[in-house]
Amino acid sequence: MESDLVLSTFLVAWLAAAVRLAGPLLLSALGEIFAERSGILNVGIEGTMLIGAVASYLVALQTGSPVMGLLAAMLAGLAASLFLAWMYVSVQANQVVVGIIFNILALGLASYFYRLFMGGVSGPQKIVMFEPIAIPFLSEIPLLGPILFRHTVFLYAVMLLVPVAGFVLYRTKLGLRLRAVGENPRAASTAGISVSAMRYVGVLISGAAAGAAGSYLILAQVGLFRETIIAGQGFIALAIVIFGRWNPYKAALAALVFGAADALQLSLQLFQVGLPPQLLLALPYLLTVIAMSGLLGKANQPDALMMPYRRE
Amino acid sequence: MRKLIERRTTPAASFTAVALATGLSVVLALVIGGLLFLPFGANPFQAYGALFEAGFATWRGFGFTLVKAAPLILIGLGTICAWRTGFAYLGFEGCLLVGAASATWFSLQVAEGGAIGPLPFAVFLPLAVLVAMLTGAVWAGIVGLFKSRFGGNEVITSLMMNYIAIFLVQYLVSGPLRAKGELPASPRLPQETWLPVILEGTRAHAGILIAMVAAVAVWLLLLRSRVGYELVVTGLNPKAARYGGINVGSRQIIAALLAGGLASLAGMVEVLGVHHRLVDGLSEGTGFIGIVTALLGKLHPLGAVIAALLYAGMSVGADAMQRQAGLPASVIFIVQSLIVLFVLASDLLRYYAIRWPSTPCRPGRVIMTEAGRK
Repeated sequence: MESDLVLSTFLVAWLAAAVRLAGPLLLSALGEIFAERSGILNVGIEGTMLIGAVASYLVALQTGSPVMGLLAAMLAGLAASLFLAWMYVSVQANQVVVGIIFNILALGLASYFYRLFMGGVSGPQKIVMFEPIAIPFLSEIPLLGPILFRHTVFLYAVMLLVPVAGFVLYRTKLGLRLRAVGENPRAASTAGISVSAMRYVGVLISGAAAGAAGSYLILAQVGLFRETIIAGQGFIALAIVIFGRWNPYKAALAALVFGAADALQLSLQLFQVGLPPQLLLALPYLLTVIAMSGLLGKANQPDALMMPYRRE
Repeated sequence: MRKLIERRTTPAASFTAVALATGLSVVLALVIGGLLFLPFGANPFQAYGALFEAGFATWRGFGFTLVKAAPLILIGLGTICAWRTGFAYLGFEGCLLVGAASATWFSLQVAEGGAIGPLPFAVFLPLAVLVAMLTGAVWAGIVGLFKSRFGGNEVITSLMMNYIAIFLVQYLVSGPLRAKGELPASPRLPQETWLPVILEGTRAHAGILIAMVAAVAVWLLLLRSRVGYELVVTGLNPKAARYGGINVGSRQIIAALLAGGLASLAGMVEVLGVHHRLVDGLSEGTGFIGIVTALLGKLHPLGAVIAALLYAGMSVGADAMQRQAGLPASVIFIVQSLIVLFVLASDLLRYYAIRWPSTPCRPGRVIMTEAGRK
């Protein structure tokens, strides 16, 4: 009886943490789906997340408002991805190369601006964060309530964005055009769709989402900025997109799996289990390697992914 | 105004055009970097002056530059082998780490009381090179195997393997290889296994010589041998290569093994030459910056060596600048990455040519009008 209670407490705490940790991963994965569906592999979301994080921290600190921080992060993400889109679509440079170098650039930019505004300030300054809000009635449901309905507004918004992204992608003209451009740009172009415009839209959506995801870490999880705050979460989001087969709903499940692995590692450290914590930390990455290895069958990616298109 | 510009159907590829476009990119990046110094109340010219002096013009600084350049060159060479073969490997950070780990392990084996016991340095070093290269080759070979045999995505898998390597090193230094003491780190390596200092009065160690030898070897192998030719052809056009009787899959695996082996040497050089023990946080992005310098060097061994030296010098100068003048070193990282991005973007410029209004449009070009292209 008592052990049942311990187990269910552990399970609830674990899964609630899983949902919380999945938030930023899911948000940037949802955005990346739009970029990849339009044919652009945006590896730069790792750096865009960092830029979003630093922008949200500085603005939230100045204004005292997490909402302003979120807006700033999205704007910064949009600005960063406008540059990325120009490199990907207009210059038609190698997408992986641009993304990797952009991530290094973003590290420099984030560190520069943090120092510019915080250089004279001694000690870390905590910002006002989004507070968890328990949804009436729903949060009282046993098990499910504490797992799903005692989070921040930010996380509820991310959950809502899953069906929104699904609707836009599969039920609107914009989504259809975006997917067409990613599958067969020539045919789409012949049908009168501007391939470049659609790809700009895809990359800009991924940038705004990645910026917001970076701010999630600041505004809903940590409250402080440090240069290592992203630590590969943008890359994990890339994996989630592939894991989720470029589909928002499946990506939500994939994000949950990654969040759960991350949360498990945290709680097992608390319980002092004999396993080395690094093994669990490495688990999400191992899962991704196996998923991407081709051993489980080939991922059915958008046909024109990473293919530049020049109108003739 | 736009009538003065005509558009080429293919970008200008002459040496002058490429040099001009590259030069413009460097200048533009330096100007932006200079502007970033202004809010800190610094004179950009003095800041750059101090930077280049610290990185290149002082004996001690030059030594540091060589120390920083060695791993970058080795990673760059790995990049050349992989990318020229069309294997878009990004896992050099991981190769560096596993190379560092295995070199540490091997060095500890030849310590007093180790499993092997003391060895003369001339015997130890080739064996250490072999051990490190094998580890890295296996590490990258896994990704190569996934790609060539099962059609896996090497971009994502290799990125993920980097994180696995980080946790592997964390595990090793907090568990099996941990020295008695507070900080998670391996025991100090026996001094007989350290790479010797090659320039009096500096930190420059023999790692740069290893990198140079590797550069010559890669140049010979890739650009002067039959295997290298097959690798490059595979990268240029896998379909044509297959039609020509080249086994594309096996060439990709060879590229992966070479790339991993070279990159893991970077880890060995860092451990035996700089840190003298295995620690967490050993790399901090060297595996990615090495890719960047290789690209700046146009994926040619000589170009990669030059780019790595320049990049290393700038980084050393940036650190000195931050210590002495309190200016943020991040400006230089911004400048370094902007240079590469602008060089990539300058390809766009090379599509355009200036024409005199009186001359007719030359063949293969299109006059730009107000209405836009065509």
